[in-house]
Order: sequence, then structure tokens, then C-alpha cells
Amino acid sequence: MAFEIPRVKYTGRIREVVIGSGPGAVKVGGADCYPFYRFEGEMPNPPRVAFEVWDSEPQEWQEWAIEPFRDVIGDPVMWAKKCIETYRAELIVLQLKSADPNGDNRPVEEVAEVVKKVSDAIQVPLLVWGTGSDDKDADLLRRIAELSEGKNIAVGPVSDKNYKQIGAMAIGYNQVVMASSPIDVNLAKQLNILLTNLGVNEDKILIDPTTGGLGYGLEYTYSVMERDRMAALTQEDAKLQFPIICNSAPEVWKTREARLTKDDDPRLGDEKKRSVLMEAVTAMTLLVAGADIVVMRHPDSVSLIKDMIGELCA
Amino acid sequence: MPPEYRIKFLPIDRTYPAEKGDNLLETAMQAGVHINASCGGRGVCGKCRVRIAGGSVGSLPNPLLSGNDWAMGFRLACTSTITEDVVVEIPFESQVDRSILTRSAILSDLGSSAANEALAVRYGLDPLVARYYCELPKPDIDDNIPDAARCARALSAKADCGEPMFPLGVLRDLGMNIREADWNVTLDVAPDTCEITRVTAGNRQSAHYAVAVDIGTTTVSAELIDCRALSAGSMVLASSTDYNGQISYGEDVISRIMYCRKRRGLAKLHDIVVSTTRRLISDIVRDAKIDIKDITHIVIAGNTTMMHFFYGIDPKYIMLAPYIPAATAFSPSGPESLPLMPGLDARVYSIPGISSYVGGDIVSGVALSGMADRSGITLFMDIGTNGEIVLGNCEWLLCSSCSAGPAFEGGGITFGMLAAPGAIEKIHINPFTLEPMILTVGRARPLGICGSGLIDLVAELFMARVIDRNGKFSLEKQGPRLRRGENGMEYVLCFASETGIERDIVLNEIDLDNIMRTKAAVYAGCTVLLKSGGIEFTDLDSVIIAGGFGHSIDIEKAIIIGLLPQLPVENFRFMGNTSLGGARIAAVSREFYTKTADIARAMTNIELSGNTQFMNEFMAAMFLPHTDDRAFPEVIKMLGNR
Ligand code: FES
Repeated sequence: MAFEIPRVKYTGRIREVVIGSGPGAVKVGGADCYPFYRFEGEMPNPPRVAFEVWDSEPQEWQEWAIEPFRDVIGDPVMWAKKCIETYRAELIVLQLKSADPNGDNRPVEEVAEVVKKVSDAIQVPLLVWGTGSDDKDADLLRRIAELSEGKNIAVGPVSDKNYKQIGAMAIGYNQVVMASSPIDVNLAKQLNILLTNLGVNEDKILIDPTTGGLGYGLEYTYSVMERDRMAALTQEDAKLQFPIICNSAPEVWKTREARLTKDDDPRLGDEKKRSVLMEAVTAMTLLVAGADIVVMRHPDSVSLIKDMIGELCA
Repeated sequence: MPPEYRIKFLPIDRTYPAEKGDNLLETAMQAGVHINASCGGRGVCGKCRVRIAGGSVGSLPNPLLSGNDWAMGFRLACTSTITEDVVVEIPFESQVDRSILTRSAILSDLGSSAANEALAVRYGLDPLVARYYCELPKPDIDDNIPDAARCARALSAKADCGEPMFPLGVLRDLGMNIREADWNVTLDVAPDTCEITRVTAGNRQSAHYAVAVDIGTTTVSAELIDCRALSAGSMVLASSTDYNGQISYGEDVISRIMYCRKRRGLAKLHDIVVSTTRRLISDIVRDAKIDIKDITHIVIAGNTTMMHFFYGIDPKYIMLAPYIPAATAFSPSGPESLPLMPGLDARVYSIPGISSYVGGDIVSGVALSGMADRSGITLFMDIGTNGEIVLGNCEWLLCSSCSAGPAFEGGGITFGMLAAPGAIEKIHINPFTLEPMILTVGRARPLGICGSGLIDLVAELFMARVIDRNGKFSLEKQGPRLRRGENGMEYVLCFASETGIERDIVLNEIDLDNIMRTKAAVYAGCTVLLKSGGIEFTDLDSVIIAGGFGHSIDIEKAIIIGLLPQLPVENFRFMGNTSLGGARIAAVSREFYTKTADIARAMTNIELSGNTQFMNEFMAAMFLPHTDDRAFPEVIKMLGNR
């Protein structure tokens, strides 16, 4: 008898979610097999990289992270444009760092204004990432959802504490939500149930499983994502059949290993190369675990990852 | 059988049977008919007004009803009793959309005396300490054997107890005692060790009692048992329950063990649990008006840590990995080694346990449930502080403890209480007006909420959409009973004027979190145990629920909150405090007592602490009814599109 390669039996499919509108809109999800298992099923929409842009000039970035954006780093609109025009970004994530109540705590209206400017200036889909403070995000993302009517942007992180406020506006203004839960399959699922019960359309949800950077909990994120995908694809768990987004860039770039220079510790080698590789390895790992969108910072690591996706989807 | 009457409720047009003398409000509750009632059925709040549209009920005028109302047929449902077929009209303010009402599936405690006696008969009535009356021949110069041998000789004619021995304490006064009794004495004999444990003057055979005690982490219960039950009618003569005095030293066993590390800590905790037990014994002796000297033995069932405290054994290693108790079985002891209270020189027996976290209380319950005699698979769950679960049949038994917490015994709940008079035990909530319908134990003024009431309350608030699926107050609903209190949002079940405590009885966010954790731990424990046995919920023959959270449990509501698995109601049995029940039967049946040791040996313990599968199932169960909709299809259907 001829040898037959054993196949996984899939019973589910990830929903397709469209972000953005017009010709630049991007569709993610839709797979009916494990990530890149294209010999067992279909992956109609390849995973995407989203470039991150901050809403205000970052104060603590490494010299080698600033370098590609030095000319635009004080202006979110120009920064986003450079990502798109120079580095071919297909998605932009705007990180609303300046709104953080533990930091600058810029008022909602001011920050929302910045978001509007960026979203008006670009053709590619915009994802807006709040502060992580439940209360602030409830106000901020609500306002942004309202101001961005018709743009089909994605807003998040939406937690079990503020899903009602943000979810209701997302429904009203037809935006996508990024449902964020702390590295746990059940919590992810519970939030999705709450959101769908609220009336959020099932093709308007992305899962944010909470991302740990390489060496800082990436393995937890990995196994939770793996289990998310197993439940969604082989156990017909409808409430987990949503695309996954990983906001990984800030996690990678804040680690000690991405900050130390060669002079600080010669054993660690060249700092730029090291950070770029750390970012690429983190993103690669997340993609292999099932991410549909990874958020990245450095154009060099992005190009490595795009090569990888290209090869695996060829 | 008393004649059955038909009670018709309008306008929802539901007819429900009732017997003469049944309370109208209770009947409505059973029929799933909502009538506003917030004083627990005390005739104080006046909310339970109904109009009798046909037939009549037994009811007394009440100042809350005007003469005009009375003439028009208005009555207070809570103070009306059934005397004939009757048509009851529910006033508009109490009405609920009938589609929402589910008929309750209330199971009452099965610890009825008939069941007890049946069990005692099956195992044979043979108390752990027997009583014999002997008229001893007076000694003379020809019959000059010692007093002790004289007693033994007289006894051998009545019972087969080998060569009976006298403990020193009994022997010291023997000579004087039998002479003062003029040679007519009652001998208490413990057949297991062939000891004569006491000598009493005269014939005391007609007064032969034992005490059964359940020592729980949160509560302690005791019962006075008539050892001659089969001839004397009811086996349980009196009972009493109280909080374990140790509660002030920590709510769970771990914090108590920690306390033990303090200087004199163990001695203190030992004293406290013994004095709680002593108080209960005094209560029941007083209630039953018996002489404490006629109590020949005591049977104790308790979790392993509590037994350590009771016997004064250091439990410290229970807490440290790999969690080893000093012992799980304890040999019978007399007053010399364990003085309980003056006048009481009963022998103390205890039901053996299995491990640090599955103790004699569970073994006792399992023996009482009969699950170890059946071939069908039973899931036994004791919903107490430790939340022990046993799965199995006559061939195998698996057990676990899931550290559920004391929520359903009233612990950690702002207005939680034991199922004592004044405890709100049944609750309905009108999903539109959010007006409650409550019944209290003993129909006394409400003092707090017991476990069965908490289950009803969470289920009803959930169905009324006051609580979301994540077990948090939904901010959508508003009404006079919903407000922001010191501990977040709260629902007012009774306003102060209707209670016996002059404070509003509420359920707040912290209470809700505690209930969620408890119910999740219990359900997760069951899931893991079933998986370990390779069993699905649907393979279960029966599910036995034990625990001191009320006199009854509404199975359907417990399923709605995901405390119990979704199975047909007929699969469930509620047995109340089975630990106490087992101790009760053991007191009167030596064979049953032996059976508990067999069961303890047969059980395999599955450790849940630090078990990742358990943590995962726990998170999945921290939702209403559960994260996995497929496990609760009926509840999900009821919820509609929520
Ligand atoms: S008067 Fe009947 S319940 Fe209060």
C-alpha cells in the first residue's frame, strides 16, 4: 500500500474581515487550514504586515529605529505616507501613545483630530491602537469611530471592561473592533461572545491575543494562538473563527536586548542587526502560530517577513 | 393522601396542583407564577396581593388590605392557604410575560426519615455502641468472682462480645457504681474493641442515643439520633447547625493551618472547634430533653483538616507539598483522650477520609448516596467550602477537591447566611419591573440569603438581563432596585423596612464575583474529573448534589448559571448535608460504618491544585452559563440572541 501523508481534518474556517474602504481595502482571514498548511487547505488572503506610526514623536526610540523615519517622525501624517510610499506599507497602525493617562494624557479631541488627519491623508486601511487604559480608550476610541465614519477603520484594544461603549459606536459607524484579552483562549472567546451579543457583526472582529516579545513571553502567546486556531479550525468553535492581529512591535523594541548597544555588551553584537532580527523572529513566530496581521516597526525586518510570507504562499 | 386541588392562575392561565393547607405564595413559586413579594412571606410588605376570582382560600384580614379590597376578593398570597379549587388572579403589577417563565424544578432534601430507616434496615440496625441491661446476681461466698468478671459474665448471656474489657476510668468506680445501683445496671459496650465504656444504674435501655456531627470548614452541624429508631419512630430527635467558630481565623483551611503556626495556635483552633461542637450538643440535648448520660457515642464526619483540629493533631504538612496529612482515619477514642464536655462520656468515632483534601465528610456522603453499590455512573458533588466531587460506581471511584469557596454557605457574600430561619431561599424576579418574589426559611422576616437563594438570584438577574454573560452588572437596565453602592453596582432584594436587620439586603459586584468563582470551580472540577474518567456528562446515570446551602435547590436555575451540567432534571438528586447523613447512619449501623472504610480505600484522588487543565476549565466556566455554548444548548436557546 502506498504511503499516505496523514491530513488534519478541518471542520471550520476563519472568517474574512475587510479593513478599510475603496481600492486600498485589505481582506484578511478566510483560511480553512493551519497557518501556511496550504497542502491541506486554502489560505485565500495571505497574512499582512502593518507598519506602526505614533501619534506624537517617540521619546525613547533607539537611534537605529528612528533612522528610517528621521525626516517624518514628528509628523504622523508624513510618517504614514513615508511608510506607504517608500516602504510599501499595506496597512498602517496608528499608536495613540500621547493619549496615555499615565503619560502625556492628551485630551480626546486633540488626539482624535490627529487620527482624522492621518486617515484622510492615506488610502491604505488604518488601524487605531488606543492606550490600553479601559476608561480612556472607551472615550477616545468611541470618538474616533465616530469621526472616521465610512472609513471602515479598526479600533482597539477593546476589553471586557469597555466593549460596550466602543462596541456600540463601532456598530453605529460600521468600524472593525480589535478584541483584546490577556493571553487566554477562554477569555478571548468570552469577549467575542460579548461583542457579538452586543450586535457587533461577525465580520467586524479581529482577535488581539496579547503579544509577548521574543524572550518576554512570546511562547505563551504562541501556544494560546495555536489553541485558538485548533479550536476554530478543528473544533468548530465559531466564537474563535476570527482573524488575529498581534501588536508586536512595541513589545520587541522595548526589551533590554533591543536597547543595549554593542558598546554596552560586546557579546551581543551589532545592535541594529540584532533588533531587526529580534523583530523579524517575533513576527515570524506569530505568523506561524496563526497571526493574520503583525504590527512591525523597522523596514528591514518588515522586508524579511514579507519575503517569508511570499515564499510560504508562493 | 390529602385531596389534591387545582389552583388556576390568571391571566397566564396555568393550573397547578396543591394540597389542603399549602401556602398560596409557595404554590405560585412552584408553578413558576410570579407574584411580587419582598418580605419573605411574612404578611408585612403587602406586595403579594392577589384577587380570588373563584373558590376561596383560608386567609385572615390584614391591615394592608382595606375592607373594600377584602370584599372584592383581594388577599395576601403569603398568608393564604389552600382549602379548595381556586382561581387566582395576579394583579397587573405582578405580571410577567408568560413566555419567559420557566417552571421551576425544585428538588428538596431527600434526607427524609423514611429513607434513613430504609438504609438502616438494609445495613442492619446495630449501633456502634450497644446498651444492655443486666441484673447482676449479688456476690456471695460461693459466687465470688470480681465485679468486672461479673459484668462480663452477665453480658455474655446477652451478646457476643468476647472478653469485654473495662477502661481504667470505668473500672476505678465500678465497685461503688454497681453497689449503688443495687446490682441492676446498664452496660454500654463497644463491640469493635470489646470495651465496656460505661456502667449506669438501672435500666436505661429505652434511652439510647448517639450524636452525629459534621464538621465543615464553614459550618458545623449536629443531630441527636435515637439508636432504637426502628421502634421509636423518627431517628433524628433534634438537630442544630452553626458557623464553625474558627471562621474568624480564616475562611479556608489553608489560612487556618497558617494560624496553627502561631504559638498555641493549634490548641486554640482545637478548643474552638470542640466548643462549637459542645454548644451544638448542648442545644440538641436541651431541645430533645434527654439526659446527656444516655448518649453512648458520637460519630464525626469532617474534612481532613477539620479532623486534625478536632483531635488536636498538627495539620501543618497538609499545606506543604506534597500535602501529606498526619492521618485520614482515627481510632475510636473515649473521654480520657478526648474530653468533650462534662457528663458526656461517649465514645467518639470518625468516618475515615482519603487525602488531605478529600476527607471523611465526603466518604460519608458517598456511602449515604449508595453510588458505590450501583453499576450506573454517578457524579456526586458536595458544594461546600472545599467543593469535593466524586465520580464512579460500584467498581471504581475518582475524587477531587476544587476549593470552591464558601459562597453557597453564605461565606464571603455581603448578605449571605446559612439556611436558617429568615434566610431567603427562593427568589423570582419580574424581568420587566425587577420586582422580586421571595420566600424565607420559616417564613420569617428576611435576614439574609442562603445558597439556594443565591443560585435563584443570580439566575433570575441573568435572565432579566440585569447581569451579563460575563457575570457583571449590565448597565443597560435601570430601576429603583438597581443602584451604585459602596461595592459597585448592587441589586436591592429587600428594602430595610421589610427585613429583620434594618438594612437593605443587596447583592453587589463583589458577591457576584465570589459566586462566579465558586460555581466555576465546581463545574471545572466536574469537567476535569469526568475527562480523567473518560466520561461525558451524558454518560451519567445520576448527579447527586450535597451541601448545606438550603433545604432545596432549583435545578433549572443552577443549570442556568452553569453550576450544574445541562442534563434532564430527573437525573439530579438533592441530598442536603450528606456528610451528616452518613454519620447518622453509621451511628446506628456498624456495617455501614465498615462500609465507609471500604469506600475510603476504593477511592482514587485526582489532584486539581496546580492542574493546568483545571485552570483552563475554570476560566471557561467563569461565564454565564459557560464559555462553551454547546454544553448548555437549552440555556442558550432561552437567552435568545444574547
Ligand atoms: S406581604 Fe406577602 S410577601 Fe410580603
